[in-house]
Amino acid sequence: ESGDPQRTALLLRKAWTLYSVTPLYRFCRGRLRDYARLLSAFIAAERQKGLAVEVGVELDIKVALSSLPELQGSEQDQPAVLVQLSSRSRASPKNSEDKILWSGCFCCVYGDDLSENMPEDFTCLPLFLANGAESYMSVVGNWFQKTFDCIFRRLAISPFNLSWMVAMWAGCKVDKAASAVELVFSVPRLPQPLDISYAIHPEDARALWDTIQKTPGEITQEEVDIFMDCLYSHFHRHFKIRLSATKLVKVSTAIASAHCDGIVKMLHSQYLSGVLMLLTELAISQIQ
Amino acid sequence: MDETVAEYIRRTVLKIPRDEIKMMLQKWGFLSEAQLQTLNFHQIKDNISQEVVQLCEENSADIKQAAVLDIIYNHIYQNKRMWSVYQMRKTGEELECFDLTDFKKKFKRRLQSALKNVTITFREYEDNAIWIRVAWGTPYRQPNQYKPSYVVYHSQTPYAFISSSVLKSNLPLLCQALIVASNYHDIREMELRSQSLNSLKDIVFKRYSQNFQTYCPKPLQERAVEPENGDLRIINENRSEKERIQRLNQEAFGDGPQPILQFAQYKLETMFKSSPEMDVLDKKEPFRCLVKFSSPHLLESLKSLAPAGMADAPLSPLLTCIPQKARNYFRIREKRGLFPESFVSP
Repeated sequence: ESGDPQRTALLLRKAWTLYSVTPLYRFCRGRLRDYARLLSAFIAAERQKGLAVEVGVELDIKVALSSLPELQGSEQDQPAVLVQLSSRSRASPKNSEDKILWSGCFCCVYGDDLSENMPEDFTCLPLFLANGAESYMSVVGNWFQKTFDCIFRRLAISPFNLSWMVAMWAGCKVDKAASAVELVFSVPRLPQPLDISYAIHPEDARALWDTIQKTPGEITQEEVDIFMDCLYSHFHRHFKIRLSATKLVKVSTAIASAHCDGIVKMLHSQYLSGVLMLLTELAISQIQ
Repeated sequence: MDETVAEYIRRTVLKIPRDEIKMMLQKWGFLSEAQLQTLNFHQIKDNISQEVVQLCEENSADIKQAAVLDIIYNHIYQNKRMWSVYQMRKTGEELECFDLTDFKKKFKRRLQSALKNVTITFREYEDNAIWIRVAWGTPYRQPNQYKPSYVVYHSQTPYAFISSSVLKSNLPLLCQALIVASNYHDIREMELRSQSLNSLKDIVFKRYSQNFQTYCPKPLQERAVEPENGDLRIINENRSEKERIQRLNQEAFGDGPQPILQFAQYKLETMFKSSPEMDVLDKKEPFRCLVKFSSPHLLESLKSLAPAGMADAPLSPLLTCIPQKARNYFRIREKRGLFPESFVSP
């Protein structure tokens, strides 16, 4: 189920850097406006100190915090919290639109594993998505860590998890002309590094997955392994190269793309929730 | 001197690394040695280029001379561009003597009759290489000097190398001018692209050391894998396997340095086949894939895969045939009939 398409659309088609966040202590949803003011002051102070800024034109930075109730999975989940830094150049006319400099989103989609036995004072929003300059992430991250006694950590995605993602997403039905199912492998430690892009026609990838998946709606590790083995052996048959010995660094489908450095792009509103659920799970395992 | 010419010269000089500016200006020969002496090459490039422009002003440089400087720059930095290979064909066996003046005249005439505004510059280099620079305009606009096409034509061969930053619509005209000027009948683009112009020449002129399928009875000791340090207590496991791999690699890739390519692309339209115990896809339709290999030096990279344990030796002929077939774009379809396991590329 997707919520108001307008609001959740801002998550689509952007490259988000992933972080895991430990539960926030004494985070009060009613005080979002206060937090925005405090964060704004903090950013101003950091800029005065000469830290955390983009060089260039004088900017007034506005901070906005809002709730995104559309982004949650179960009843237990906390609604997502969106943080946006926007600016208006002092030089530009009064009625011009604010430009969004940086966005961050705390969310939890089916994070019951974490929130189950959580004491009252803690808010579980284990997944954080960031888009924009690293310098802003640094300032905002610092403020949240200081204010709510939490810890942000970059969330990398292992080849194991990337395989799950590509198997799952390749099996999704997409209406319009879908983009290819692409796997990118890297072989860095050779005298000359090698990258291999292996892109499969989406219909053919889905047909393969359909013959492997036994129960619709359920995916087992064995099924993912068979899917990957099939792709590897088709490749080996042609090139005699063992892809399983290389490093899977990126997967891309019409639903979403994911890079091992923990960067994700979500492309399809219908499956947004599903992707966030998977990422929430990854974030939780990093925390626990 | 025209401001656009001044600006163009200024920008061209700015591209050149500071310690090479003097050498390039000397090659250019447009400024006298005395003028070059007056230049201070120890200041920032911005200032050097301004001074060069001033000197060019004194000599009343026009776009033709500026274009020559650009060719010189691009000849030295040819590996910054992506080059495609074109092959021309003649019907009949006439061996004509190549006449450079005639070639230039016909080339210019063909282009200028189609496009009024075009800047054409020629420069000859060793190895019978003729470099041609073409800046394209329209009937209403002066040529865009910042997006020229470069053609390298070796007059004793049917090959021309074209730098792919051409505004696509001008390509047919460029090809036409080439065949008219060189007395060929038609031209086709080969499926071969690389940034290393010399490697492309090595491949099409067969100048690299090829693998020969002949029996080479060298004793195995000569090819033995040496232990990395002198410690005799460390023995090489799988010594014979390593030697086998090295020998097969040598047969496949030959002895000498590999031509430099940056990528190879394969469009696969073969059937998906799994091992019988896997109860998976068994369609009658091809399993459509697009595979792209990329590396700063692709062939060396591929050659190192088997010794690194990531590939079988011998490596697939789809990869090892790249230099012989002179292509790095392939379309692979299933071969029907007697040998369903083998592949053809059209």
